[in-house]
Amino acid sequence: MANSKKPGGLREMLESMYSVIALLFILVACVELCDAAAAVDVYRLIQYDMSGSPFGSRFAALNHHAASLHFPPGVDLSRTVLIIPLRELNITFVREYINQKKPLGGLLVLLPEVLNFKTGGNKQDHEKEKMKNLLAELERLLVHSYIPYPVYFAFENDEIDTVLADIKKNDLMGQPATATTGGYKFVIPTAEPKKVATPTMTNIQGWLSGLKTDGDANQLPTIAIVASYDTFGAAPALSVGSDSNGSGIVALLEIARLFSLLYSNPKTRGRYNLLFGLTSGGPYNYNGTQKWLRSFDQRLRESIDYAICLNSIGSWDNELWIHVSKPPENAYIKQIFEGLSNVAEELDLKVGLKHKKINISNPRVAWEHEQFSRLRVTAATLSELSVTPELLESTGGLFDTRQYVNETAIVRGVKLVAESLARHIYGHQGKNIQIFADESSLAVNPAYIRSWLDVLSQTPRVAPFLSKDDPFVMALKKELAGHVDEVNVQHETLEGIFTFYDSTSARLNIYQVASVTFDLLLLLVLGSYLIVLFSFLVITTRGLDDLISLFRRPPSRKLKTA
Amino acid sequence: MTMFHFFNCAILTFGPHAVYYSATPLSEYDTLGTSVKAALVYLGTALVKLVCLATFLQVSENDGFDPYQELLKALIGFIDVAGLYFALTQLTHRNISQNHKFQAVGLGWAFADSVLHRLAPLWVGARGLEFTWDYILQGLEANANLVLSISLAALGSLIWLRKNKPKTLIPIIYACAGIVATMPSITSYLRRGLGWHFSKVVGFELFTSLVMAFISWQLFSACQRPYRCDAHCPVVSYEIPFGHRCKLQKTQIVYIYRSRGMTLAPRLVDLIG
Repeated sequence: MANSKKPGGLREMLESMYSVIALLFILVACVELCDAAAAVDVYRLIQYDMSGSPFGSRFAALNHHAASLHFPPGVDLSRTVLIIPLRELNITFVREYINQKKPLGGLLVLLPEVLNFKTGGNKQDHEKEKMKNLLAELERLLVHSYIPYPVYFAFENDEIDTVLADIKKNDLMGQPATATTGGYKFVIPTAEPKKVATPTMTNIQGWLSGLKTDGDANQLPTIAIVASYDTFGAAPALSVGSDSNGSGIVALLEIARLFSLLYSNPKTRGRYNLLFGLTSGGPYNYNGTQKWLRSFDQRLRESIDYAICLNSIGSWDNELWIHVSKPPENAYIKQIFEGLSNVAEELDLKVGLKHKKINISNPRVAWEHEQFSRLRVTAATLSELSVTPELLESTGGLFDTRQYVNETAIVRGVKLVAESLARHIYGHQGKNIQIFADESSLAVNPAYIRSWLDVLSQTPRVAPFLSKDDPFVMALKKELAGHVDEVNVQHETLEGIFTFYDSTSARLNIYQVASVTFDLLLLLVLGSYLIVLFSFLVITTRGLDDLISLFRRPPSRKLKTA
Repeated sequence: MTMFHFFNCAILTFGPHAVYYSATPLSEYDTLGTSVKAALVYLGTALVKLVCLATFLQVSENDGFDPYQELLKALIGFIDVAGLYFALTQLTHRNISQNHKFQAVGLGWAFADSVLHRLAPLWVGARGLEFTWDYILQGLEANANLVLSISLAALGSLIWLRKNKPKTLIPIIYACAGIVATMPSITSYLRRGLGWHFSKVVGFELFTSLVMAFISWQLFSACQRPYRCDAHCPVVSYEIPFGHRCKLQKTQIVYIYRSRGMTLAPRLVDLIG
């Protein structure tokens, strides 16, 4: 039967055997293969030092059992990860844990799927206000606390929901997380987080030259339009900041596009230069704007008539605010405000004026126009926020996602700013002329705004994690270059009071583990099974006497030769 | 504690083979060589089956049950039977009784099967953190396979080595041998075609292996040549005892192996039969 093989076939078989043996060696060498029950993308809480004091979550690696909020009271949680979905989160509970420095192995907060910018963008949300407030409070608490264990955010999906339901069931039965079934272990195998060595801020400026006739000896006056593009939030890998300040960037790009259309024809080119600035370092007291302004030539700085800073103009209904630092009686401020309110009346919306004095000795810079004002340049910030934000607030947090931004609001904002600018440039103040009328070739393009808003809402933009040649920054530069005459990129180091640490996202492996008692029990069962099997076989084949004699003394065989 | 789990599953999978060898008279008659030879024959058979499967079988996209493919697999499965025939008849064994020969061959066969099919998944899978019942079920399946292999070897030795069998029993023997030989196809049909869960399949295998073992034991006993210690002793035995003391005659019959250079007592019946 086995002799009908050809010698070639035999060699083939040997070769296949060799490959099988080689594969076997590889398999033996693989010590651990990933075979988790579930693997989820998780995003870490920010870790930073401010003036030397540590804030945020100080650890990244995780290797503990999981428990839900229904854990039996009095149990030690220092080697347990608490998994809390957002709708069950009690902010006082978390605050108590953090403030009283209670030991915890780790914290995993499950965010609703609707906030996931990768997938859940189209789902309806009915509890918007409650969730927004809860998230804002949670972020504020976590960002300003020192937390000596890893804190991660994840999005709810079917896998993790079943795991959570299982964990809750076991906790309610009073079984700790080390039972035979339903004991889950969360493992995140990352290295220790390291400091970001040289965090860079990249400022992009675009220059649109005005029409210089031969008679003009001096430099033309300049109007600056500025928006900061970077964000900061509790989870830096999720800080897309659609409203703060994605709306501002999109508005700036659209204004640049409209004015580039006007300025492309020398007949319609205005007698003002336009300076567009996309600055970084916004959440950190507008550090980038300061460095950008400091790098200006004195003459250029003096030639700036005024600057308009755009900050969060994406989700307002009927009222916008103009924040200034010079007193409202100032002639320039009056001029700006009147120009804007005239156009606002025509567009059927309101603008209000808010004045906040600058305190030179206080390093806190709450609005971007304050950096201009500190260098004696007239500036104002247009924003939907009426209250001055605190440090590291309203800078693109967990709640700031695409579906809560209204593109119509941005369109109206663009119209407002562009019209008032154009009337100032071309000297049509007070006249009822619509330069950027709808249905004209200079109409505001909602599709452009929408597409850029979509891109921005999928790009987290925390400045220390954007490298010098980050593709998004290059894309912004390229886009601006398409509209203006000249683009400059300035790289600065984010120094000062902030230090950041890396490791912003990871992959969580969820294993279902059995306890040591289960293994011991199994060993006991198997041992008794083998003993029973042994006795059974001895009894049936050799007889009961043999079994007994095994235990009495060594069996003596009496040989009798025939 | 995952090496612990691996150790547990390993002793469940391979322990019964060692226990079987040491508990039964196999260890006393030193039949290890037979088992090793049977294991090598199994290895050869597995390679031949692999080549045939690779040549004739098409890889199907879905995991469903394709009757034509399963029929082909069953036919190739009969190469197993051929291998068993080779191991039982063609290998030269030292003079061990037929009773022990089939046990040793079946044991070696089942041990090689377990090692080849279950050791690698065990090593790779059971040491991970994740706990599944799969490896324990696999160990139980190895136990069922041991029983099935020994039954198949018993039936095989009945078919090929026992020359004079009662006529009525022959079709039953062949039928049982056929059922046991096609067990792999039956289990794969249950798993793929009917979609049974692995634990149900293992339970079914254990049950059928015990049933088939019982049936083949009865058949084997029915075909055994009776032995008397003396022409006039009414006590009939089907075993080949070692150091047997005839209860009636109170004489001592001793069997001495040929291999040790001694001869059989002259009035004893032919053992090998």
